[in-house]
Amino acid sequence: MTLKDSNRPNSVSCAEFQEQLPDLFAAGATGHIEDSELAGHLKTCENCSALIRDLEYIAEQAKQLLQPQEPSDNVWKKIQEGLATDTSYAAKSHKE
Amino acid sequence: MEVQGLQMTEAKTAPGLFKRNPPIAGEAEAIERAKAGDAEAFSKLYALHKRRVYTLCLRMLGNVSEAEDMTQEAFLHLFRKIGSFRGESAFSTWLHRLTVNLVLMHLRKKGLQLVSLEETINPSEEDSPKRDFGSRDTQLAGSVDRVALERAVASLPPGYRMVFVLHDVEGFEHNEIAVMLECSTGNSKSQLHKARLKLRELLRQAEATPQADLKEAAL
Repeated sequence: MTLKDSNRPNSVSCAEFQEQLPDLFAAGATGHIEDSELAGHLKTCENCSALIRDLEYIAEQAKQLLQPQEPSDNVWKKIQEGLATDTSYAAKSHKE
Repeated sequence: MEVQGLQMTEAKTAPGLFKRNPPIAGEAEAIERAKAGDAEAFSKLYALHKRRVYTLCLRMLGNVSEAEDMTQEAFLHLFRKIGSFRGESAFSTWLHRLTVNLVLMHLRKKGLQLVSLEETINPSEEDSPKRDFGSRDTQLAGSVDRVALERAVASLPPGYRMVFVLHDVEGFEHNEIAVMLECSTGNSKSQLHKARLKLRELLRQAEATPQADLKEAAL
């Protein structure tokens, strides 16, 4: 499969553009791409534009996952059991 | 037990979830009492931090049972080592680092060598995201709720999930992730990109077939 878009033989292909995406995202540069060829591709390629919008959206939505969840009560019970068998902790507690 | 590779030094920068939280009332006093072996102080510290630690474990591991086991491990380790906490960084940051390192160590013990095993951090061809050079499908924007995203993240291959959680959820930088996972910064960037591509694929599949089990869809 040729990577070049047949409608734009001299332009950057989707594959070439998408290869640059990890670095562009890491640099926070997807909104203002300096490379003129890459910027030109993005301006005319609906597919790559949609891809960037989706990936930005996913990264943004990831913050929703910060919402904390509750462990079961069993976890604390096991921790207490673990502490009870921990000699250094048990010795400290015993002194008190 | 001395845990090899566990960074008990206090981090200079605070990661995402914990960075966004202000100091907690009563925490400093509880830390000092816990250092002296006060059981009530341990209980207080657990109550203050259990959700954050458990949620981090759950995101990194993708299943409840292992997440609870690692939460238990993290707090036991914390209580044994609390004497070495000197307050140079936020306690929550210190605890966060401790938890991340314990989970990574647990995964390595399980055989998921996050970097050296290419198939783990670079999942098999089947698990890899499909390249997208021509589709004109509907976009995701505005359509993904938290539950759908949770399920999709849990369905990611472990290597992808790890980098995605550390970077996009927890707020670590690529250079920090590279140190934790013992890989290059470029590898971290690449894995994050692949993780997001895979999530996009999973979320689009879920939209197309809302009742579909994402776990199955990911295979």
